[in-house]
Amino acid sequence: MDYLVKGLTTALKLIFTFDPEVMNCTWVSLKVSSVAILLASLIGIPLGFLIGSNEFKGKRTTITLFNTLMALPTVVVGLFVFSFISRQGPLGVLGLLFTPTAMVIGQFILATPIIIALSISAIQGIDPRVRITAITLGARSYQVVTTIMREARFAIMAAIIAGFGRIIGEVGSAMMLGGNIRGYTRSITTAIALETSKGEFSLGLALGIILLTVALSVNIILRYLQQKTS
Amino acid sequence: MAMNKKEVPLIEIRDIAHLYNGKKVLEIPHLSFTRGKIYAVLGQNGSGKTTLLGILGLLLKPTSGRVFIEGKDVYSTQSLINDSRAMMTTVIQNPILFDTTVDKNIDFGLRMRGKTKEERRNIVEECLKMVRLDGFQKRKANELSGGESQRIAIARALAIRPQVLFLDEFTSNVDEKSIEVLEDVIKKVNQYYGSTVFLVTHDTHQAYKLADEVINLFDGKVVQSSLENLFKGAVTRVNDISIFDTGKMKMEVVTDREGIVYAAINPRDIVVSLQPLSSSARNSFHGKINKIFDDRSSLRLSIKAGEQFKVKITKESFIEMKLSVGSKVYLTFKSTAVEVF
Repeated sequence: MDYLVKGLTTALKLIFTFDPEVMNCTWVSLKVSSVAILLASLIGIPLGFLIGSNEFKGKRTTITLFNTLMALPTVVVGLFVFSFISRQGPLGVLGLLFTPTAMVIGQFILATPIIIALSISAIQGIDPRVRITAITLGARSYQVVTTIMREARFAIMAAIIAGFGRIIGEVGSAMMLGGNIRGYTRSITTAIALETSKGEFSLGLALGIILLTVALSVNIILRYLQQKTS
Repeated sequence: MAMNKKEVPLIEIRDIAHLYNGKKVLEIPHLSFTRGKIYAVLGQNGSGKTTLLGILGLLLKPTSGRVFIEGKDVYSTQSLINDSRAMMTTVIQNPILFDTTVDKNIDFGLRMRGKTKEERRNIVEECLKMVRLDGFQKRKANELSGGESQRIAIARALAIRPQVLFLDEFTSNVDEKSIEVLEDVIKKVNQYYGSTVFLVTHDTHQAYKLADEVINLFDGKVVQSSLENLFKGAVTRVNDISIFDTGKMKMEVVTDREGIVYAAINPRDIVVSLQPLSSSARNSFHGKINKIFDDRSSLRLSIKAGEQFKVKITKESFIEMKLSVGSKVYLTFKSTAVEVF
């Protein structure tokens, strides 16, 4: 028990004294995940809109595919990207392996299907009368799109937050693609794995608390948005 | 020579046919509409009313046929479609309000047209007054009652000052007070803005009360007879005379058809009298008045005579005959007055 209490006390001390190691890992995590989620949103939301608002052959299969990809194992993504950017891989010359960019690529692949699948469902959840009403009131094509997006705004924000929640806490691809280089690609999750295995329980715990706080904040926002939409 | 704007029909449709899932739901050889009038499209569920409204309101391109707006074939260029759409608006059946405040809903069309904030504010205020919901600007749209939502949807349509306003079942699921307000708004919009109004309704009384002209649709086709007296029954031939039987009443009709058909009689073609008439008219029924409607210039009586009949008479005749609810009367009409289809 003493071990746990001591660990927790030291962890809180590390957090409140802004320990450089802790802050650095937190910064790497937030930076990599934010860039990945931004890129995933830029691709995923318009794609989700196109799939959700149009009828085409194979639509159901496409939706099933994205729903399945939501559960993509992080190590599989890590392995997949690794095979492309490792020295022997087709993109090896770019020297991306063990860089934050590689971590962003992995997390982008993890988050995009989530954003696409949830955006599809957000767009499909919008009453078709919204589109007709916008047209009857003189909205041009792009104005119709922005009107529908505005109506789906809370559900789309929830999609982004769900994607962020997924990647901020993943360890598999971050470890494989970032390489856990101290001060460079060491994120909260990869640091927890390393420090705990080294016996640095307090540091692992401190990072765990930060990660949970981030995850909690994400969930509080998500719940708030869901309440607002209902 | 350039034609005067007034001489060219505002909207004209030619050889229109519309298919839905391979089934023909609308077939109209020709219809034209004049600027500044109120038109009602009347018909039962599935008669093609909403399809016709969609075609006239340019929300639905007909499978075949042509639509002319102010004499121009509207589907010839995209800019013509856009320009024509900009002058009209449709309030769909059970309209939806955007998930925002009332004022943002009403000024939607104005924002799409790039109007200034000041202009938008003034128009929103004016439209809210028109639908008698002044002060509702900052209310949340999703917190309004059904009647209030409908009034806001109409105010939103009026905000763009449409030259043509299409209203699909605008008083369905609306409380009595809102119906009264909305009917009044329709008349005002027509009178003061000069807007041409198209109402789709299955409420016969409302159609005749508000409209200058009524278009009766039956099974996707325009029929000449008013559908107020529409009956389903079987035609059989007895000694070269066609007898139409609904099960509750029988009448003579002129038709080559036999079997199950629909028959319609224009309320204007039915003569009401206190005594049986000695005329050549082949159909005469005795019945009782159970409802009276005031239709601006005349009265409409609902009379139970086997089936429920609607009859139109002048106010003078009504007073002369001292009629009231419960009065027993004779209904007489010619067999040629019955349209069979």
